[in-house]
Amino acid sequence: MAVLRRTARAYGAMMAMVPKLFMAYQIWVWMQFIVQIISLVILVSFWSAVYAGESSLSGLTLAQTLNYIILAQIFAPSTDTNMVFELGYMVRSGQIGMRLIQPLDLQLALYVQKVSEIALAFVFNLPLALIGWLLFRYHVPADPLVWLAFLVSLLIGNALLFCFDWILACASFYSTEVWGMGMLRYGVALFFSGALVPLAMMPGWLRTISTILPFSQALYTPVSLLSGITPLSGMPRIWLAQLAALVALGALSRFTFSRAVRQVTVQGG
Amino acid sequence: MIRYLVLYWTFFKQRIKVLMEYRVNFLIGASSTLFVQAASILSIWVVMRQVPTLNGWAMAEIWLVYGLLMLSKSINHMFADNLWTLGWDYVRTGNFDRLLVRPIDPLFHLLADRFCHDGIGHFVTGLILVVVSLVQLNVVVTPLKVIYMIITVVSGGAIFIALNLITGVSGFWVMDSTPVIRVVFEMHEFAKFPLSIYPKAISAVLTFLIPYGLASFYPASYVLGRDVPPTLALATPVVAALLVFISYRVWLFGLRHYSSTGS
Repeated sequence: MAVLRRTARAYGAMMAMVPKLFMAYQIWVWMQFIVQIISLVILVSFWSAVYAGESSLSGLTLAQTLNYIILAQIFAPSTDTNMVFELGYMVRSGQIGMRLIQPLDLQLALYVQKVSEIALAFVFNLPLALIGWLLFRYHVPADPLVWLAFLVSLLIGNALLFCFDWILACASFYSTEVWGMGMLRYGVALFFSGALVPLAMMPGWLRTISTILPFSQALYTPVSLLSGITPLSGMPRIWLAQLAALVALGALSRFTFSRAVRQVTVQGG
Repeated sequence: MIRYLVLYWTFFKQRIKVLMEYRVNFLIGASSTLFVQAASILSIWVVMRQVPTLNGWAMAEIWLVYGLLMLSKSINHMFADNLWTLGWDYVRTGNFDRLLVRPIDPLFHLLADRFCHDGIGHFVTGLILVVVSLVQLNVVVTPLKVIYMIITVVSGGAIFIALNLITGVSGFWVMDSTPVIRVVFEMHEFAKFPLSIYPKAISAVLTFLIPYGLASFYPASYVLGRDVPPTLALATPVVAALLVFISYRVWLFGLRHYSSTGS
């Protein structure tokens, strides 16, 4: 019991550190807010122009699409694990040496930190949600069950994406430079997560790729439930698929790290 | 002028040597922005294949607007990306002193310090989009049109650089100017699409205040023979020259207020 308490305290301290870190750079928070508003206005203007002569596209009306797009913008931080850059820079700078000798599981510690960061990003997105609602009157479900199902799907989806990114990040032990890989991952995730276009609008072959890749699990899958594209009745099947992917990616990420970490070289001095 | 060109070439060669230390990463980095742009382009394609036009603009016409903007952006990204780092990498660390004690213009030194290969991806994306658009639309490409587009792209690049310089100078006071630069820089996202899809106020801002529209929408309209005021379509080089002049004055003002870390 004492061990459990000590472990919880250690990981809890890592979670608590994140808000302090964010607040130390308030100007960045404001910048993010303005950039998000710009993004939102562009997306709404774009979709409104797209629907100018159409009542529905791929079975979605303008209201449904805007609902989805605005909610996807609010919950988009779920796809930003940033792991490729973070682990990569740790390896490059040698900080990884200090992290590895800490009596913590590095992967779990960074996961806990990421969950805290994402939760905080959602909090910071509340003004965006409010302004989005005032400007565009999007709808959110009133049923608490839908919200619960959404949260479960979001958590599993984010965890499995974290494991996927962890595997990618392990490449830094071999290459020691990850900028290109990080940007590549960002570009692929931007499209295949469904942040810009609902997966329902993609042609079959692109939808298949999106389903195979893990990015949509952290955004499209949960947000499509919240925006009414996916019915609540379909969730048990989706959860099962998400859990299976989480177990497989979790195991693979542990194995990859155990192999990759043998490559680490930390310069002394 | 020739002295500075020779100097830039020397800086450039050194930078390439540094980048070549990580060859694979250089290639991935150079093509990385290609993937980010591919995400946006693929999204537009997914949507536009289902509708005939976007506010009267066909998909191939949008590629021209998007492509011209990307080409201008690539100039800024390749040759002036270091402006983003002025605050946190030069002023805060005291590294800026190094630039001041050398017998060359400190702004030139700052820009020449780092050629950013990530911009190559933007350049390739822009070039492909412009060529695809012109071919698909059967636009008669006269030498005059080619010269007009080259001048527009270079001027557009100068608009990007001038706006980044004006906002980046804040680094002399706030140490980290990245958020200030980014807020204005992100406005260029609007100019990827025809300005006619936005409310009039936004369109006006992108034409007269933060004129990214002069690097994309107006030149594209002019090349396509659309109804657009010729004054605006031809204004890009003039506005670019004016903005470069203003931004350099702002830079000199910032420079006078620079105080070193003293360590």
